Amino acid sequence: MAEILGAFEQAVLLAVLRLDQDAYGRAILKEVQARLDRDVAAGAVHATLDRLERKGLLASRLGSGTPVRAGRARRYYRLQPAGVRALNDARAAVETMWHGLRWPLRGRA
Amino acid sequence: MMAEQPPEWAETILRLSLRCKDRDAVSGDLLEEYRASVVPARGTSSADLWYVRQVAGFVWRATGLWAVLFSGTFVARQAWDFFVPTHDFVFRSELTTYTGVALLAASAFWTAWRSRSFAAGVVMTVVMCEIAAIMSVIGVSALLAVRHDPATLNAAANSGGLEEAFLLPFMAVIPALIVGSAAAAVGTVGARLAAVGRNARL
Repeated sequence: MAEILGAFEQAVLLAVLRLDQDAYGRAILKEVQARLDRDVAAGAVHATLDRLERKGLLASRLGSGTPVRAGRARRYYRLQPAGVRALNDARAAVETMWHGLRWPLRGRA
Repeated sequence: MMAEQPPEWAETILRLSLRCKDRDAVSGDLLEEYRASVVPARGTSSADLWYVRQVAGFVWRATGLWAVLFSGTFVARQAWDFFVPTHDFVFRSELTTYTGVALLAASAFWTAWRSRSFAAGVVMTVVMCEIAAIMSVIGVSALLAVRHDPATLNAAANSGGLEEAFLLPFMAVIPALIVGSAAAAVGTVGARLAAVGRNARL
């Protein structure tokens, strides 16, 4: 079985999937923040994007810049077949672990 | 109207901390978020603080490992001198000096290589050195907080004194500049030659 993704890696990959053609650094950051409902450092998202690209789960290309970013190019990301497989594996692993348990759990405390 | 601008020094540090291929895209993302979201929501002063915090995160990712190794070398040497006293410091001094110089050179070479920038190699090594100095002071303070019996304090005094333990890490900025410049020059030239070689093969 392929390496299981960490929760943050899954959040970033799912953000890229949801954003589709608009998946560039800042949009991914905002999507991850909205989904996780917490402040996330830009550096954490960029480091994760870089790692996922090196693993072959994402590919990137440079797009055009806009005046608000002083004309600096945007780097757009897209999911690779290995990324889709990794997300499927991650989801399957979680479902296997939860199989037979009723959710939400009822605590004894 | 002039577009809002984050602190120029922070943007310079950010660009120096990034790899060559990420420099425009990542600094552009941060600038876009600063102008489009953070300034309108929080105002300029708070947005500047936000920007500096984000840059600190990038700098830590670029230098953290080297800073931990560099400060770890210094704190380990202090622990050795404090807890295993000696009168002959030659071997210990040579070992830690060569290790420190090797780490400074490796940090500058690696940074210059990935950024293809001489300035990045030198500046980030100096920044790394100062981060390591703060970590070293914390580390040595922790050592002394754990053990501060008369024998340990006597050993500390014989190994150069507490002044040296707390000031020397900050003085390392001078060798960082010298060694960092040499290693960054090699790293920059090496990275550019490697890029020329790759392009020639294509």
